[in-house]
Amino acid sequence: MNNVKVSTKNVNVHYGTKQALHRVTLDINEKEVTALIGPSGCGKSTFLRCINRMNDLIDICKVDGSITVDNEEIISDEVDVVSLRSKIGMVFQKPNPFPKSIFDNVAYGPTIHGIVETKTDLEEIVHSSLKRAGLLKEVKDRLHEPGTSLSGGQQQRLCIARAIAVNPDIILMDEPCSALDPIATATIEELIDELKNKYTIVIVTHSMQQAARVSQRTGFFHLGELVETGETQKIFTNPENEKTQGYITGRFG
Amino acid sequence: MFYWSLIIILLGIYSAYIFGKSRITSHSRQLEIKTASLPTYYAQYIMVWCLLPALIVYFGWIIFEDQIIQNLVLANFDFDLNPALNASLLISEIKNVALSDSFAEGKATEILNAAEHYASIKYVSSISFYLSILIVMILGVMFASRKLQPSFPAQQSIENYVKYFLFFCSSVAVLTTVGIVFSLLFESLRFFSDVSVFEFLFGTKWYPYIPIREGQSGSQGSFGAVPIFAGTFLIMIVAMCVATPIGLFTAIYLAEYASPRVRRIIKPLLEILAGVPTIVYGFFAFVTVAPFVKTFGQSLGIDASPTSALAAGLVMGIMIIPFISSLSDDVINSVPQSLREGSLGIGANKAETIKRVILPAALPGIVGAFLLGVSRAIGETMIVVVAAGTAPNLTANPFENVTTVTVQIVIALIGDQEFDDPRTLSAFALGLVLFVITLILNIFALRIVKKYRERYE
Repeated sequence: MNNVKVSTKNVNVHYGTKQALHRVTLDINEKEVTALIGPSGCGKSTFLRCINRMNDLIDICKVDGSITVDNEEIISDEVDVVSLRSKIGMVFQKPNPFPKSIFDNVAYGPTIHGIVETKTDLEEIVHSSLKRAGLLKEVKDRLHEPGTSLSGGQQQRLCIARAIAVNPDIILMDEPCSALDPIATATIEELIDELKNKYTIVIVTHSMQQAARVSQRTGFFHLGELVETGETQKIFTNPENEKTQGYITGRFG
Repeated sequence: MFYWSLIIILLGIYSAYIFGKSRITSHSRQLEIKTASLPTYYAQYIMVWCLLPALIVYFGWIIFEDQIIQNLVLANFDFDLNPALNASLLISEIKNVALSDSFAEGKATEILNAAEHYASIKYVSSISFYLSILIVMILGVMFASRKLQPSFPAQQSIENYVKYFLFFCSSVAVLTTVGIVFSLLFESLRFFSDVSVFEFLFGTKWYPYIPIREGQSGSQGSFGAVPIFAGTFLIMIVAMCVATPIGLFTAIYLAEYASPRVRRIIKPLLEILAGVPTIVYGFFAFVTVAPFVKTFGQSLGIDASPTSALAAGLVMGIMIIPFISSLSDDVINSVPQSLREGSLGIGANKAETIKRVILPAALPGIVGAFLLGVSRAIGETMIVVVAAGTAPNLTANPFENVTTVTVQIVIALIGDQEFDDPRTLSAFALGLVLFVITLILNIFALRIVKKYRERYE
């Protein structure tokens, strides 16, 4: 059993008057992949975005409850959101490389955080990040071409490389494969499997097969509530809750 | 006379429409065949064929009628015998006499006869005008009604006509531009037959006065336009130095930092600023800013004139702010939210995100906004007339009087001027240069925008 990395207690999220999450309590273990599944609009992405305070960007969004990362409370005005986010990388549904070269995309994080001193160090980080994201071989001859010139799957791996370049502890992935074809998806899934040796990963996915393939633990959300959580194998073979059973067997959702 | 013809045309196309519709409906009922298109399209088809010939005749008549009548009337006068007769003076005299009896008193008999002749031709002409419009409309409808068969795909034809019509509309702007270029070009050529191109482009003295009589004391006219271009450039630089940073920072504030409430207030206010007439800016510059600039210059130990390039440039910069801020604001807003989230998700703060991600992504649009501002600055007249003076000084000192291309064009064209005076014609040469500069600027802007598009999209 691994250590708990992120712990949430009674997290409520309101968009204006509408409540999107109801008292979600979930522990996320270190160096494991935790999958969040559930029908559209059930609040799994909202929950994911609470962990790196991305919901701050939405004016009408109010988060209360308690979330700790490494036993430190993050739902508080005193928290330095910028340094929190540098510890928690995020990969989005649609690949969103910056309008810069491939090299500059990956170098972006290390540069703004002042992680590197010399140009050689920066190159070192960019190369190793691209390598860990399994992209180096494909792009090493064209590092100075725009990131947007890559294919969708490559762009998504570039975004992963960009996220791991700042050496985060946690990587949040919001349906990272939903815009990709099956082959690119398989590549990303392999990558996730490899990355979990070093990072804590939380992945929101619509594909139950994907959750089953890549995750060790799974949480099932329904209508803003965390219905059931447990080891992936158990959730998919012997769920306790009736709704979970219904969803994974495809009876609703 | 032309109002009535418009009414005739309107009634004509209306009845053509009704005719077409009833005709095709009864036709298809008789033959018991369903029409290939809805009856409306057949009616529209007939209508087009009724309207087009009528319009051609209408505009042809307007353009050529006067000339033809004049030629017919003047054919009676023998200009070789009497070289003192001036054709254009003569015809206006004849017209005046024909219009009103009060002009007829004391005129030569041949003029009176010609006036009568003119009036009768005019009468015949207007009758035949109505008749020919009616006839071509009927001919058009008759020609088109051969196609009123249920099997005829009227909708496709209408679709084609719509296409031609739209093409025509889009070519209006292009053709107008071409026309402007040519008129500028020809008038400029006349100017350059008096003044050498070299003197105009590289001469440093602008003194556009030609002596009225031989041996007149005072200097010879001199058409070196460099001081004017320099003045334009100087004021443009001052204006853009004000407008670009303020406009861009306003846009960044509005797009990224302002709360929706603040934004709702500031944005319309800025747009009001864009609607203020430039002459109002002009007297603001003259009354408020220019004295301030003078005092400021004196405090620096510079002898500033009461109107100066700096005063005009500063106010012009204020005038351009809304253009830059409003356009840049739109561009920044259209940068996808996913890029912001991507950057913030890595732990970049807001300023870093804006500086390193948003602005580069928005750059093509911002460059576009900047160049639009530049062309506004170059084309602006009123502020400069009022606040920068009209003296063509060749100087880089913004505290001095300068003048711009547009101001000199205004000066050249107002007042009693003959059109073959180089002073008047210089307006066209200046206009041509202005046109070429803005054209180059636009091409340049488009290339920049395209280059970034290719790289980033």
